[in-house]
Amino acid sequence: MEDGRMRVKCNFSGDQKFLENGRCVSKLESMGFRVGQGLIERFTKDTPRFKDELDVMKFICKDFWTSVFKKQIDNLRTNHQGIYVLQDNKFRLLTHLSAGKQYLEHAPKFLAFTCGLVRGALSNLGVKSIVTAEVSVMPACKFQVMIQKM
Amino acid sequence: MTVHNLYIFDRNGSCLHYSEWNRKKQAGISKEEEFKLMYGMLFSIRSFISKMSPLDMKDGFLAFQTSRYKLHYYETPTGIKLVLNTDLGVPNCRDTLQQIYSTLYVEYIVKNPLCVLGESLQSDLFSSKLDSFIRALPFFSVRAA
Repeated sequence: MEDGRMRVKCNFSGDQKFLENGRCVSKLESMGFRVGQGLIERFTKDTPRFKDELDVMKFICKDFWTSVFKKQIDNLRTNHQGIYVLQDNKFRLLTHLSAGKQYLEHAPKFLAFTCGLVRGALSNLGVKSIVTAEVSVMPACKFQVMIQKM
Repeated sequence: MTVHNLYIFDRNGSCLHYSEWNRKKQAGISKEEEFKLMYGMLFSIRSFISKMSPLDMKDGFLAFQTSRYKLHYYETPTGIKLVLNTDLGVPNCRDTLQQIYSTLYVEYIVKNPLCVLGESLQSDLFSSKLDSFIRALPFFSVRAA
């Protein structure tokens, strides 16, 4: 059973629907985790070891994001204490959905897999983390990575 | 030269989308009746021309014009019908309608998992992109010729 959880901002009417949705979202996240693990093995096949955590995050923001989404992360922020915020202003899975607030409550479903992807990639690079996503105005979204110290 | 309005119908006859830019006179009937009237006319004309065509039909119904406006028609293989009413100065619009279908409908409606095909189109993104597309057309100007 994986440790990472996906915190989701969404509101649904009816507990049944809420539980069902929560289950689907965690399932998507775990699928993303497995895919991320595989992808990172292939992408870093020929690269040298990373110097430190920040280097790993920069790799995720540049090369990993480019290989998966054909663009880089637009903004990386950190508090140098294990929290990183990756901001993508034109996230490819959201661009055709809406350009603002419409369909906002459905956006978490499309971010769950990517959160798992990042968590899986980091996990195989030796970094244990919790990845959550938040979106306020589409197609921009932020992924928050919290490094877990072993 | 201007664009008056645009209708998008699906294969069952329900109107998926309607927008207008420069319509001076309303039909005098409710919107549902107007859509039914339009669809009924298209259906009848298509069947008429396929029966009465003296030669093998190539593209089928393209457009009709009156002394005040021209109605352009484009139907996709999946049964999506696009109808554009413009004024008389506009040449054949088939490419434009085809572009609306491929770059707007397919991109923002078909590729949007939250849009249910067959229901009237809710996506704001689609409406705003369509609006900017029409306004950017070379034959669109706010005042009718």
